[in-house]
Amino acid sequence: MTATLELRAVRKVYEVADTEVVALDHAELTIERGEIVALVGPSGSGKTTLCSIAGGLLTPTSGTVNVGGQDISGYSPKQLTAFRQEKVGFVFQAVNLVPFLTARENLLVVDELGRRTGTAARRRAEELLDDLGLADRAQNLPAQLSGGQRQRVAIGRSLMNEPDLVLFDEPTSALDTHLGEQVMALIRSELNGRGTAAVVVTHDDRMSQYCDRVVRIVDGVLTQ
Amino acid sequence: MFLALKEMRRAKVRFGLLIVAIGMLVFLILFQQSLQNSLLRGFTGALRSQSAPVLVYSTDGQRTLQASVLTPELEGLARAADGVGVVGRIGQGTFTVTAGGSIAEASLVGYDTVGLGSPEQLDEGRLPEGPGEAVASAEDADDGFDVGDVVTIEPGGDELTVVGLVEDAQLNVGPTLFVTYDGYVAAVAARNPDAGTPLPNALGVAPADGTGPAELVASIDAQSDDLDALTRDQAADEAPGVSQVRQSFQVIFLLYALVVPFVTGLFFLIVTVQKSGALTLLRAIGAPGRRLVAALLVQVVVIVGLGLLVGIALYTPLTVISATALGIRFETTAVIGWSVVLLVLGLVSSLLAARRVLAIDPVLATTGVGLR
Amino acid sequence: MRLALRELLRRPGRFVTATIILTLVAVLVMFLGGLLDGLIRSSTDAVRAQDGDLIVYSSTAQSSFLRSRIDADTRATVGAVPGVAVSGGLGLVQLGARVPGNGPRDLAATALFGYELAPVGVPDPPGPGEVFADDVLRADGVEVGMEILLGPARSAVTVIGFVADTTYSGQGSLWASAATWREVLAANRPDEQLGDDVFQALVVRAADDADVAEVAAAIDAASAGATESLTITQAVDAIPGVEQQRSTFNQIIGVTIAIAVVVVALFFALLTVERLGLYGVLKAIGARSRTLFAGLVVQALVVTAGAVIIAGGLALLLDAAIPPGSIPLDISPRRILTSAVLLLGAAVVGCAFSLRRVLRVDPASAIGTIS
Repeated sequence: MTATLELRAVRKVYEVADTEVVALDHAELTIERGEIVALVGPSGSGKTTLCSIAGGLLTPTSGTVNVGGQDISGYSPKQLTAFRQEKVGFVFQAVNLVPFLTARENLLVVDELGRRTGTAARRRAEELLDDLGLADRAQNLPAQLSGGQRQRVAIGRSLMNEPDLVLFDEPTSALDTHLGEQVMALIRSELNGRGTAAVVVTHDDRMSQYCDRVVRIVDGVLTQ
Repeated sequence: MFLALKEMRRAKVRFGLLIVAIGMLVFLILFQQSLQNSLLRGFTGALRSQSAPVLVYSTDGQRTLQASVLTPELEGLARAADGVGVVGRIGQGTFTVTAGGSIAEASLVGYDTVGLGSPEQLDEGRLPEGPGEAVASAEDADDGFDVGDVVTIEPGGDELTVVGLVEDAQLNVGPTLFVTYDGYVAAVAARNPDAGTPLPNALGVAPADGTGPAELVASIDAQSDDLDALTRDQAADEAPGVSQVRQSFQVIFLLYALVVPFVTGLFFLIVTVQKSGALTLLRAIGAPGRRLVAALLVQVVVIVGLGLLVGIALYTPLTVISATALGIRFETTAVIGWSVVLLVLGLVSSLLAARRVLAIDPVLATTGVGLR
Repeated sequence: MRLALRELLRRPGRFVTATIILTLVAVLVMFLGGLLDGLIRSSTDAVRAQDGDLIVYSSTAQSSFLRSRIDADTRATVGAVPGVAVSGGLGLVQLGARVPGNGPRDLAATALFGYELAPVGVPDPPGPGEVFADDVLRADGVEVGMEILLGPARSAVTVIGFVADTTYSGQGSLWASAATWREVLAANRPDEQLGDDVFQALVVRAADDADVAEVAAAIDAASAGATESLTITQAVDAIPGVEQQRSTFNQIIGVTIAIAVVVVALFFALLTVERLGLYGVLKAIGARSRTLFAGLVVQALVVTAGAVIIAGGLALLLDAAIPPGSIPLDISPRRILTSAVLLLGAAVVGCAFSLRRVLRVDPASAIGTIS
């Protein structure tokens, strides 16, 4: 069975002034279908860069990136956009939701920007909202939701397009421990149920117990 | 000051667009101000710059020289009024002429007494001394109406040599020639031999010692309902079309002038909201609200000031180029006046933004809500 | 698309302010246009209304009625030109009218036309001493059946009906038979009086199959250059002031539209800056730049459309509120439509300014840049 994510010899180098900054150095990573991997490291370690490359937000300087059987290493920005629409979901640390859309509309925006399946999308959104315990908050704007509820909406949105891989960037950093554990448990149950793989970027070791595997990264180098 | 300028330098595009918008508005306001003034001058300049303090039309003339005709009876009544000092006849007509090789339409103004209908002040040359000479409007000098040029009346071929020039003395927005009364009569005869001697269109009257122009006007008006006496300024202000021009432009200026404070106000309000994070931070670390408002006002003054400069920079070359075509002049009073008005309007419009700045609660810096 | 519209609905505040500004600009554009239209119409309607193909002046007249003379011989020559079906004489005298009930110095400005061929909307020439009056003269107190006195000679004419859209040089016109006009002219302007068969101009109808331009040339050739034949459009444009008014006003309107472009550009530039974060997230989850930019354009068009509709209403109100005779304003549906199209175009162009910004948003910026 093809792995959901395969990174081979991925390098990302930035030119800053006259020096070269190596954000990622020969990263090798394989994630199987349904696997939830925690990516742990201090700030500046390159975990954001790795996440971005895995999600098709950045192109590596060298190496190959394979997601769901697609080699996206050489994709043009347009192709990457289409790829993200179909195959990947994101939950960002902040500014996740569109502030003037209700919880339901925030889920539906994925369909509007992409496949436009109309009724099918609406049904899926209702299912997700139900699963995530947000059925009675579907009409609320983000400003009317608590931090935890907002995060759950973001998770729902990331699953709308039935992606192969979801990338979580510090999903619990703005939440207290109890809430954070709740969110992680939710992530686990939602993703396992669907066989979706995930990379959870976090600097909090406590959260890694909810993941199948922990990968550490320091100064652009992975240790697994 | 430091904050204000630093911010503007970092967001050149946004502030630049605002300056451009204000600049264009200023340009249009100044241009139309000049246009209005030149239109009014073009229609009535001759009336203002001729020398008679009081003009007497026939009521039927509806305050235009061309349509006014004074019968001998009316003329007699006017001359007999109380307070009349010296009286001179004025004749006016529009003629097709050849000047500088091309055909044009020119107004002829004939006066029989110097000081009553003749141009008050010449800019070049001298007054005509006989029927074949004329003083022309200086604006048309380059079109064949310069000193020394010969202007031919069509049909008939009557010739006039230009011996002087006078500025701001056009009638009907076109070339205007001041001639002796005999010269005017000769031109009429040359054009239409069947015409007979024309009656004067108006009288120029100087009040007798001890009488003011207003009294004289009342006294002449009292002689007959068919006489319409006006002071020189009244004649210019009440010429047909003048109040229409003034009213139309008033509406135009009002609208344009409103756009400036609205655009400025909206801009600064949005920008203030957008940087509320940074403002909260500054308040948290001890910057007094007044300081931040002052910085805002400095920006407004700089922006409106630069906008004014841009507008004036666009306006000035136009006043030089179109000088002859549309008679647009650089109106210093208008420039200064509008600059003050727009600056004040701009400052007033930014008060909403200033209120926002003062309403910022520095404690919000700690909870991170102010920061994005 | 729906995203953009939802934002408009849910956060109307600042869009409303932009709409207000654009409404001001739109009213300006419509007012300026209406002023131009009104000025030109009030100067030229009488000529425009002529029911013919050509106006023939004498060549030295510079297309001015008052300086033109067409005598009987010239008229015969014109009539004999092949392609000329009918010709009608036209004459003009401008006089002040004393209307019963008005003060002694409160004259109505009128332009009395003597005509043979009826202009559009005007009946055939009336009997001796009778006239049709243009609608605008109602504002001076003129009524049907009223006798008004023209000029210093107090020539009496009776108004037997009203006609519309026939003003000349900003004055209300009176339409009379050639004989009436000649009488009034001779009595009031002895130095301009004309013989019995002399008119100031001719209105010529060309034969159905004739080429109007050729007929015009033929007439001028036949008269050995003594005449100048113009199409109605040319004659209208030749009326003093028309061309210059048009070009001046259109330039001013042009710059005002440019201001609308800058206002839209400015407003959306500000909005885009604020939404950069949001755009980053949307692009990350797969929105194409095209979609985001289209949303921007939709918002600009909605805001501008709102401004145009309100401005149109205000302009019509202004038109109704202004008393006839003060400002020559003519706000026609066509003028409102033209202004609307220009402003909507300006809105689209103004948006283009933010296009680069939207394109440049890097989806990767959505991740982890806060810490």
